[in-house]
Amino acid sequence: MAELKPEDLINFGKKAINVATKKGANEAEAFLSEILSTTVNIERGQIAKNMRKKDQGLGIRVVCNKSVGFSYTNVLTDKSIEQTAIEAFHTAKASKPDKNWGGFSSPKRFSSTQNAYDKKLVALSSDELVEIASIMLNEAASFDNRVFVAEGSVETHVSSRTVVNSYGVEAFDEGTRIDCGLATIAREGQEVTPICQEFNAERVYKIDPKWIGKEAAKKAISSLKARKIESGDLTVVFDQVALYLLLYFTFINAIKADQVQRKQSALEGKIGEKIASELVTIYDDGLMANGLQTWKFDCEGVPCQKTPIIEKGVLRHYLYDCYTANKDGVQSTGNALRAGFGAQYMLTPIIQATNFTLTSGSKSPEDLIKDVDNGILVQFLQGAHSSNPSSGEFSVVATPAWKIEKGEIAYAVKGAMLAGRIFDVLNNVSALGNNMRKIEQLVAPWITSEKVRVIGK
Amino acid sequence: MRGDYSLKDELTRIIDSGQKLGAEYVEVRAQRLFRTVITSKDSRIEVVRKGIENGAAIRVLVNGAWGFASNGTLEPKQLMDSVSEACRMAKAASLRVKEPAKLADIKTIEARVTIKPKANPKEVPTEKKINMLLAEDKIIFDCDKNVKSCTINYLDISGTNYFANSDKTYIEQDKLYLYLSTVVWAREADKLALGSDVVGYTTGFEVFETETPEKIGRRAAMRSLDQLKAKTPKGGTYPAIIGPQIIGVFAHEAFGHLAEADLTLAGSVLIDKLGKKVGSEIVNIVDDGTIEGAIGTYKYDDEGVPAQKTPLIKNGEIVGLMHNRETAQKYGTKPTGNARAEDFRYEPIIRQRNTYFTKGDRSFEEMLEDIKLGYYIKNYRGGQANLDGTFQVGVQEAHEIVNGELGASVRNVSFSGNTLETLYRVDAVGKDFELNVGVCGKGQAAFCGAGGPHTRVKEVLIGGGA
Repeated sequence: MAELKPEDLINFGKKAINVATKKGANEAEAFLSEILSTTVNIERGQIAKNMRKKDQGLGIRVVCNKSVGFSYTNVLTDKSIEQTAIEAFHTAKASKPDKNWGGFSSPKRFSSTQNAYDKKLVALSSDELVEIASIMLNEAASFDNRVFVAEGSVETHVSSRTVVNSYGVEAFDEGTRIDCGLATIAREGQEVTPICQEFNAERVYKIDPKWIGKEAAKKAISSLKARKIESGDLTVVFDQVALYLLLYFTFINAIKADQVQRKQSALEGKIGEKIASELVTIYDDGLMANGLQTWKFDCEGVPCQKTPIIEKGVLRHYLYDCYTANKDGVQSTGNALRAGFGAQYMLTPIIQATNFTLTSGSKSPEDLIKDVDNGILVQFLQGAHSSNPSSGEFSVVATPAWKIEKGEIAYAVKGAMLAGRIFDVLNNVSALGNNMRKIEQLVAPWITSEKVRVIGK
Repeated sequence: MRGDYSLKDELTRIIDSGQKLGAEYVEVRAQRLFRTVITSKDSRIEVVRKGIENGAAIRVLVNGAWGFASNGTLEPKQLMDSVSEACRMAKAASLRVKEPAKLADIKTIEARVTIKPKANPKEVPTEKKINMLLAEDKIIFDCDKNVKSCTINYLDISGTNYFANSDKTYIEQDKLYLYLSTVVWAREADKLALGSDVVGYTTGFEVFETETPEKIGRRAAMRSLDQLKAKTPKGGTYPAIIGPQIIGVFAHEAFGHLAEADLTLAGSVLIDKLGKKVGSEIVNIVDDGTIEGAIGTYKYDDEGVPAQKTPLIKNGEIVGLMHNRETAQKYGTKPTGNARAEDFRYEPIIRQRNTYFTKGDRSFEEMLEDIKLGYYIKNYRGGQANLDGTFQVGVQEAHEIVNGELGASVRNVSFSGNTLETLYRVDAVGKDFELNVGVCGKGQAAFCGAGGPHTRVKEVLIGGGA
């Protein structure tokens, strides 16, 4: 991708580690990341911007007597790397020892991954991305004159991660990704619909901009003439986006080992217990072919793997990084990710799901709806991030959403709220679709859950 | 005026080169920033992170289309490559542009903005920052045996931003941010609760002498402990008194985003409301980039436009929107200085600064008196709005109001409604005022202030009660 070759990156990492260990560090770990992204932005119904972003850098964790220091730089010169390693050493010295520190990872064999890198995506020119964006845009704009394209984008990423540590880990991996998305609204008289979205997100060049444009427009039109509904305990069919938002801010937190160990999780001590409907089987698969979060190894150099989380409703495993695994006397599950505000090299690892997969059922989406007598179909949740990650309680707006009556979509629903606990939603799952789809950390079909509290008017 | 002359010359050469390549507008933003982040978890320092970020972003306008190239480097040769890259990108987009972007004129500015705090966080020893976190952590755990866990995140950013454009504006502007977030988990039997507190400033480290770790820690701990006693509310529509923190979130999320001119033009419910009434006469909302020391305050925005105080709603009527140079031109008005970029990796977009309801004349007690059955909504966990004006605000601290008096605490509350309907239902505005801190995400992060007085709303939808 960039000017830097894998061996250059590994050498920068080695250099940083050598400086730190010579200074007197007990252990050291260098992480390097590079990203090159190209984006075409649609604004107010037209192609408005074309952007190229490039950034790379190195972060080094240094441990002295079990106290951890970290420093980073995006100036990749020998001098700057040396200063960064020394700075990390000093911050470790300034910090306090942590008796639970268990060391960095040791070298292991990595499995290979499939469809995580595509040369075709690297070669796509900005002209071609502009073309993809126009197809999406024109399809939506010509669908119906009540549809407005609020925003949209086509974006390609090429990125790499490198981990080197003082125990001999030397790992490099690179990946590609393409994201196309369109957000529409429909207007009729004084009525404006909520934002309706459709997207493709893939690791290889396999997208359908025409479909995105058409579906985004269709959703907006079907969100018109929305009505308020009465409050009640209803059957809810969750689309993947709504399900992702709900799980990401509640359940996925509850199975992170750090939250469990720190007594923040309602699932503490529940391994082996039934916590969800028998229909629910979930595994976290960091090696899934074409998975959006698929890498050979995690951000601490631990091999990615497939970890069972829930089997037929029974809780099997938490997600671990090196630190929490050591504390529980188990192996890391390869779930250390560098994520948050800023570039990866600026960050230290946190625990995160990879491709969190809810296994497929057998029903088509049409059949799921046909089975609902009185309920709603929900495609997006507003305010999911304000859920309580500890207790799993949520209180969110379902929008866009549609009323289902006697097995048929009846009309769009206006401003209904959903409230409850994620564990009750998982316990009351009554059907699973066969329409597997991936969005960020989730891979799942549509799911139906019974007796969800809906607050209407 | 003292400045970084060699960098200025370099930026000028890049602008010349962009113009030669056919750009009608060229802008370069460069940065040299230093950051310290410290995280403590349950009385241990998890990590101290320190680092340097250098980089530059080049934005050009060619035939009315934007091209943008950012690179994590200040190497002159690479920046020259970036400017031709940006021009190539813009040309590719320009072939499809129907309505070319144009920029509103602004005054040419040459300025050096220096910040000289009493205690520059860059010079404060790391040990002192660590000890502050551990002191706060101790206070939190000492509050009650039901406190089970606590995470404290400290962040400071300092350094300088450099801005130059083809209108001959050149600005060097020091940056300074302090941010401290605290989350406390409490547990009693099967009940789990979480409380948080966030503070942030554009002043020096000395601010922690008045806003002490004791105060912050106790606030966060009490919020989580109160919730252990709380019951879940009954969902439905009720009158509510909304506290300063939540009215701020409402001003920012439910209303503010709709009044960001790029989102207004994208089809928000305000698209045809400029000059029209959208709320009750006692509603006044302002977006203000000039409050000293507040987190959303700065001198110049990332297009070189001076920040200002922008009235958005006056006596219930929309009197203004938040603009960058492009949307100001579209509306035939002046830019308001709202264009901001998170850092060199991002392009400037319209962001809010300190957004708030201005004060009225009612006391809290007066507002309580008239409510038979309702809620006092005090402290938020997050909020989100939609272009159609549907908003949701998640709440971590709320109380029932029964017969004009504060009653029991309630948990897992959120409230929702339609922004404009809710603005019409405001029937009393308090005489107090408070400004709070948040990090807003609109594809990129920005520190924003938000606030206002206690405000009463005749009716909102309360969602909650599992």
